[in-house]
Amino acid sequence: MQFKDYYKILGVGEDADLKEIKKAYRKMALKLHPDVNPDADANDKFKELAEAYEVLKDEQRRAEYDEMRQYGGSSSGGFEPPPGWQPGAGSYAGGREQADFSDFFNSVFGNGGNGGFNTGQGSERGPRNSSEYFTSKGQDAEIEVPMFLEDTLLDHEKTIQFSIPSLENGQVVHKSKTLKVKIPAGVNDGERIRLKGQGGIGHGKGPNGDLYLHIRLVPHPLFDVQAHNLILTVPIAPWEAALGAKITVPTLTGKINLSVKPNSQTGQKLRIKGKGLKTRTEQGDLIAVLKVVMPESTNEQDESLWQQLAQSHTFDPRNQWSN
Amino acid sequence: MSDTMLIISIEELCEAQHVTQDFIIEIVDYGIAEPISGERTEEWLFDTASARWLDKAIQLHQDLEIDWFAVAIIVELLKQKEALLSDNDLLQSRLQRME
Repeated sequence: MQFKDYYKILGVGEDADLKEIKKAYRKMALKLHPDVNPDADANDKFKELAEAYEVLKDEQRRAEYDEMRQYGGSSSGGFEPPPGWQPGAGSYAGGREQADFSDFFNSVFGNGGNGGFNTGQGSERGPRNSSEYFTSKGQDAEIEVPMFLEDTLLDHEKTIQFSIPSLENGQVVHKSKTLKVKIPAGVNDGERIRLKGQGGIGHGKGPNGDLYLHIRLVPHPLFDVQAHNLILTVPIAPWEAALGAKITVPTLTGKINLSVKPNSQTGQKLRIKGKGLKTRTEQGDLIAVLKVVMPESTNEQDESLWQQLAQSHTFDPRNQWSN
Repeated sequence: MSDTMLIISIEELCEAQHVTQDFIIEIVDYGIAEPISGERTEEWLFDTASARWLDKAIQLHQDLEIDWFAVAIIVELLKQKEALLSDNDLLQSRLQRME
């Protein structure tokens, strides 16, 4: 276990008063809070900062920490609390989830009980095992679950694997779990599905936390998603745009025929009712957006035909520029 | 097979967040989240999206030690940011397909 120098993390001196500590925390919190800092490690850095603040803002916890710091804070190697150490008066039972804190924090402050160096025999300072007197619901957990668009149309069975942090004797351990779940039809990107009691293990007689599945729709090679509608870009040849055509287009469940009207343009939209995504209350549409594309190569005959068209036509695609 | 749920009761929320019902009522008063059903407070049910914003609001309140009005503004801006990012992703994808 690594010793945490909370003064260094907050960038304050050992003699800093509460006002300085608060000021330093607020300044750094604004930079590191995961809601404003997009860096991947912002969450971990913020947790470290919040932990340092949680200790140093509390007079009793700070005194305990200072005592511990004198004992082993300067050692460069691994840190272990001294023999007989018990979480003390500054022990933590605050609003934060215990698993958010480091092993170092949990070893020093635990979940409750009396603190300081246990010099006596027996348990007059309170039980060592915090679960004997501390009851709390386990931590909620969240994992991302990628879903193919096709799999959202019907109830979909999925096997998920994840690890759950839990506290064992003051140490955070990660336990692997595998679950089979039925994802209800009509889920959308960003939606959260709750699995009651499948989160972190409860403390004492407390119930387990919940697991939330954060649904992420996997980008589709053909379809974009807009609310419950699907958007499909449909490439068409210039002559199909000019003359109209019957074409076949894919949907999530098969293929359908589509009529392209004569004189169609790039960007023109055709709505196919009921072929979009399903929600719990309605069925979205498929919106086909036409895109006129040129052949990649031409031969002499093609060129001759384009020449005939160019010479016979007065169309000016840039006529709006003339003013 | 584990049962999936899309709602959470106020009682369960309080237990999960280690807060009182009055705490949740205050957050709801600021419009950060709204119950989807329940006439009396103790019958309130929230969808999982609201539960997430409640969780975020409580974290912000604790992390930054700011009042609920400031939290409500931040949450509103975060909701707007998420919607804009989602729109941006869609438009980027549309642009690539049309190029």
